[in-house]
Amino acid sequence: MTPYPYPYPPRDVFLVANSVNELGGVATWTHQMARLFTECGHRVHVVGITPPEDVMELGDIPYPTTTLYDGQPPSPGRARDASMREKATLLTSLFRAARPGGIVIVTQVWAMEWVKLADTTGLKVIGMSHEAFEYSKKTSRFRRVLKHYADVDRMLVLTREDADLWIGQGLNNTSFMPNPLPFIPEEPSPRTEKAVVSIGRLHDQKGIDMLLDAWAEVAPRHPDWTLRIYGSGEDEEILRKQCTELGLDDSVEWRGRTSDVPGALRGASVFVQSSRGEGFPLALMEAMATAVPCAAFDCAPGVHEIVRDGEDGLLATPGNTGELARRLDTLMSDKHLRDRMGETARVNIQRYTTDEIVRRWEELFGFLER
Amino acid sequence: MNVDLRSSPEPATPSAAVPAMSVVVIVYNDETRLPTAVHSVLDQTLRGVEVVIVDDRSTDGSYDVAQRLAAEYPGRVHAHRLPENSGGCGAPRNHGIQQARGDYVLFLDSDDVLERNACRNMLEAAETTGADLVSGLCVRVHVDSRNGKEVKWYPWLYTTTRTLESVSELPDLLVFDTLSTNKCYRRDFLLENGLEFPVGIHYEDLLFSAHAYTAARRITLIPNRVYDWNVVDKADAKSISNRRAEIANFTHRMEIHRRVDQLLVDRGVAELKFHKDVKFLKHDLVLHLRDLPFRDAAYRQEFAAIAREYLESIDPAAYDETEPIHAICAYLLRKSDWDNLLPAVDTLTNRNKVSAPLVERDGRVYWCAEHLDDPDDGDFARHVLDVTELGYHTKPVEKLFLRNELTEYQGPYGGAGGTVRLAGRITNPLGVVPPGARLTGELEFAARRKGVRFQVFRFPVAQLRHEGETIAWEAVADLARGLRPVGVVDAVWDVRLHLGVDGVRTTTRLTASEPGLATGQLPVRPRLTRLVADRIEPQISSRGHLAFRLVPDKKANALVERGIHGAPGRLAKSGYRKAKKVRKTLASGNTKIRLYHEAFSRLPVKKRLVVFESHLGRQYSDSPRAIYEEMRRQGLEFEAVWAYADKPEGFPKDALLVRRWSVPYLKALARAAFWIDNQSYPLKLTKRPETTYIQTWHGSALKRMGFDEPEWKLRSRAEQAAQQRTLDRFDRFLVRSEHDVRTLARAFRLQEKTLLRVGYPRNDALVRARETPGRPSVAAELGIPEDKKVLLYAPTFRQRGQRRFELPFDVERFADTFGDRYVLLVRSHYLNHVVLPPSVRDRVIDVSAHHDVTPLLALADGLITDYSSVMFDYALLDRPMFFFTYDYEEYVHEGRGTYFDLLERAPGPVVRTEDDLYAALGSLEEQSAKYSGARERFVADFGEYDQGHAAQNIVDQFFAQWRRA
Repeated sequence: MTPYPYPYPPRDVFLVANSVNELGGVATWTHQMARLFTECGHRVHVVGITPPEDVMELGDIPYPTTTLYDGQPPSPGRARDASMREKATLLTSLFRAARPGGIVIVTQVWAMEWVKLADTTGLKVIGMSHEAFEYSKKTSRFRRVLKHYADVDRMLVLTREDADLWIGQGLNNTSFMPNPLPFIPEEPSPRTEKAVVSIGRLHDQKGIDMLLDAWAEVAPRHPDWTLRIYGSGEDEEILRKQCTELGLDDSVEWRGRTSDVPGALRGASVFVQSSRGEGFPLALMEAMATAVPCAAFDCAPGVHEIVRDGEDGLLATPGNTGELARRLDTLMSDKHLRDRMGETARVNIQRYTTDEIVRRWEELFGFLER
Repeated sequence: MNVDLRSSPEPATPSAAVPAMSVVVIVYNDETRLPTAVHSVLDQTLRGVEVVIVDDRSTDGSYDVAQRLAAEYPGRVHAHRLPENSGGCGAPRNHGIQQARGDYVLFLDSDDVLERNACRNMLEAAETTGADLVSGLCVRVHVDSRNGKEVKWYPWLYTTTRTLESVSELPDLLVFDTLSTNKCYRRDFLLENGLEFPVGIHYEDLLFSAHAYTAARRITLIPNRVYDWNVVDKADAKSISNRRAEIANFTHRMEIHRRVDQLLVDRGVAELKFHKDVKFLKHDLVLHLRDLPFRDAAYRQEFAAIAREYLESIDPAAYDETEPIHAICAYLLRKSDWDNLLPAVDTLTNRNKVSAPLVERDGRVYWCAEHLDDPDDGDFARHVLDVTELGYHTKPVEKLFLRNELTEYQGPYGGAGGTVRLAGRITNPLGVVPPGARLTGELEFAARRKGVRFQVFRFPVAQLRHEGETIAWEAVADLARGLRPVGVVDAVWDVRLHLGVDGVRTTTRLTASEPGLATGQLPVRPRLTRLVADRIEPQISSRGHLAFRLVPDKKANALVERGIHGAPGRLAKSGYRKAKKVRKTLASGNTKIRLYHEAFSRLPVKKRLVVFESHLGRQYSDSPRAIYEEMRRQGLEFEAVWAYADKPEGFPKDALLVRRWSVPYLKALARAAFWIDNQSYPLKLTKRPETTYIQTWHGSALKRMGFDEPEWKLRSRAEQAAQQRTLDRFDRFLVRSEHDVRTLARAFRLQEKTLLRVGYPRNDALVRARETPGRPSVAAELGIPEDKKVLLYAPTFRQRGQRRFELPFDVERFADTFGDRYVLLVRSHYLNHVVLPPSVRDRVIDVSAHHDVTPLLALADGLITDYSSVMFDYALLDRPMFFFTYDYEEYVHEGRGTYFDLLERAPGPVVRTEDDLYAALGSLEEQSAKYSGARERFVADFGEYDQGHAAQNIVDQFFAQWRRA
């Protein structure tokens, strides 16, 4: 709920991403924030560099959007450079129209290459990296972040721990900002069904293969429990094959992709996440908001930032499927523990409500003007 | 706003907003650098920052510069001047604190700069945590170094953002980071606590920072670089912190230490002094001790008097927290034992050097014989001077770096002007050089600079005399005739003395015992031209070693310098760098891998070529060895190649020995008909289809392996596929039991057809040993008496800490308890090593260096292990086994997990404590009888295919056609 009178000045806020409406976490976050900023009285404009490959349906949005290119930009070289200068002019004209105190938030480092060429005089520029440091390090984005975000007014990552790691690489302008909780369900899970739930794309990164290995160790001890795997993806076939080979067909349900995440979570007594890499995983936040305790691989700072191990969920060493199996076993064997951790989770996760996160952004905008 | 202190301060204009931060910039005679420092503040990303310049009555134009800056940036820069020069940093900073208006205060010196985001990051931290003090990373920037060398100041304190409610939570902060400049202080905090720098004494930062740390209610550390401390290495006038050669400075330092100690007491945190004591022994004292060899006797005496007084206040327990040599030096200094202290300082500077004669008493090794029996202090002396753990006594002479004290230097010597006469004595610790040894010696001169070491020049050492604790030597060298430098590129020549002891060579450096011992120029004839230099003179390196330096001719040198820095020089240097780069590329791994795939793999396979390797070339051992020996025994006709990692010693003489990763190694692998190995050939080498890879593997598994390990599972699919390709190189994989099939074979995702159910060739000997009584020959080699039983302790690899492996039991107690009955052999994993004290000599023996464990297993009447796979092999002997699993929970549960529960299936007692272990070891016979059924089951489960004919089977199956007709 927005306090009244609203204690922060209205601003022009530009959110610049690779694409306005690309299917995935960054666009979901971008439009959630765009809506929240609009509700607070800011004038928001979402800018994308190119049209996306996988389109996400945005519905009605109360703010304008602009996409710089009609198709893909020319491949790197002189033509790309020329087109970048031209598009940067377009950005400059958007930025010039801003009132004093305007903010440019660049959500992905690729988009920064255009923003860098534009005139941002009078505006504060915030660069963001929406993934864990270690994950970023394995990609080409690592070098690009160090290069293109070196001079932004603030570089934001998801957690303090990630920020410290970037600072260690010499990116001295780094700070952090967690993602807001997408929703708080009215109705928490009653935790009565003997079901462990996993939600995520069936992709190598989500580590469903490791979840099956862990389940193979824990399932024999709990014949009355089922593992419900929500999600679809390119790995479905090999994962189902692995499931059969492990003899788990009786205790694993492949539920496919769901449009009703709250419903899926309400049917869960335990949530499990076995990813190889994460940033600030929304799935864990959503499960906790539904009062479902989580067992997860501690694969990123964002994970132990969200789950307080032993208090509102249980964490395991990444890749150690035996340990994940023991964590699941602990939760599945003890109803009182599930109830206690589930209820604690629902309370603890309130620190990421939209009101709280918006307040932190407003404080940051003010701080950058000092 | 320019304010002279004598005028009344100008009231702040009401319109000027209070800045968030004030940066106090102090200056003394530094007009050229002051603007840079000030601009580093004005260019901060945080805008609400003011600069308060305080000039310590400079005699140059510093104050004018300050005033100009103030005029240029009104309201943002303020210039102040002290009424008279204070001679330190304290008074101007104190004045700055009074003048500052910001909520927070920082200090900056006129020759340093702030990082652009420093103020913003510190302010954010201070406001979010409410800390009185925020401290960030300082970086020492060596401004005149060629490559812009930067050294972080105690970076381990600044790896993560961290908030302390009291400095007691992190004593290292107070102890190590004693700077005042990389910090931001809440101004009210400074004022309320009356925090000021002491005036009229150096090292004011130490007291101020200690005061601030202990007064702060909350401290936040941030990993951000905030402060660049510019260091000038070649400055003629060194700054205060560099001028430690002066006694006056040392007096100041000790006085500051005393004041800090008093402060800690006053503030009720006296317990922090202990940490400070440790740091004093390890760091502060060391800085000064290292200078001693370069100082005269008068300085030494004066220094010692001042230091001793302070040393008396050091907690004796602090000596335990340092490295032995730190404690030894401090102790000898306290005792004013110069004869032993100066050599000890040599070891302090050259850490791997043995500089004292050492002495063995009651089974322990001590640095020196003195003080040990001191009636007042003997116990403490023994405690400090005990160097048993350093393992000097276990090393042969060629592994020791012995101190060689240069006692005489005469040059020029005799009639000829180019001759030098040198004499000295080499330390002989624990009589490692025996009295009757045949001694030889040679002086070697080599250019210091790498890459120009075209030639070394040698001169014989004419006289060598064994004098008990030292070896005295004397040499005369005609440098004018015998030393021919090129000139310019090889200006510095290092001197070494190689001492031969019965044909074994050990290398020493010459340490000048007194300053001014080696002086005087000698003529030389550079090859380039005598114009560049025609004389050479001795110099002492910072490590105290004798070297010689070409004395450059000034005029010629100017010409040469111009050449080096001009166009021809640049061309020559870039050519040299390119050539170096090409050489590096050629020798690199990638080039070699390409050579292997694109050249060697196109050559025909040699039908009878077999490449053997064991444990990545570290050993001649295990099943590859057993197969090799069986092939030799049967007289097969084949070409054998063995790979070694470091040195070919210990590998078979009747095979071609190649170093791992060498070109001949790669060529042999590319052309081999068989690869026989127990671990892995280089992962990046593709095996040709014509080559058969027999993977013998090196042990059954208790711990999860391969794709059952977390690290493997965590890899992406592409990485897993790449890993699988290296495993799919195995054409055959040896297994000892169906347990191996269920664990190893599954974990490596091997196909059924690759599995060879023949058992391990290395274990043939164990099966035979079980049937043939009598001791193997290794018993005599180790000098084990007939009447004693042999126990083998073979623990698994421990990753934690250094290579040094601490035995989990008191080895002296073991020897005292069981020495009359047992000899204990200790075999650490090849990646760990142990040191045994002389007291257990003949009762406990380190057998880690033995390549092959099998003969040791065959010898042992009982085995003590924990989780090592050696248990599966030893069980074949049907002798008693003991499982000393002192860290079971940690090892089994916290780690990667096990395939079965050792506690359930162990064929012998599983004990957690030393006492229980000793109780179990009491009677081998009893244990043997008690667990005989368990051992039988264990062998059936884990070693069913080990029937004693594995090597034979493999030869029959793969190499029968190579038998001579």
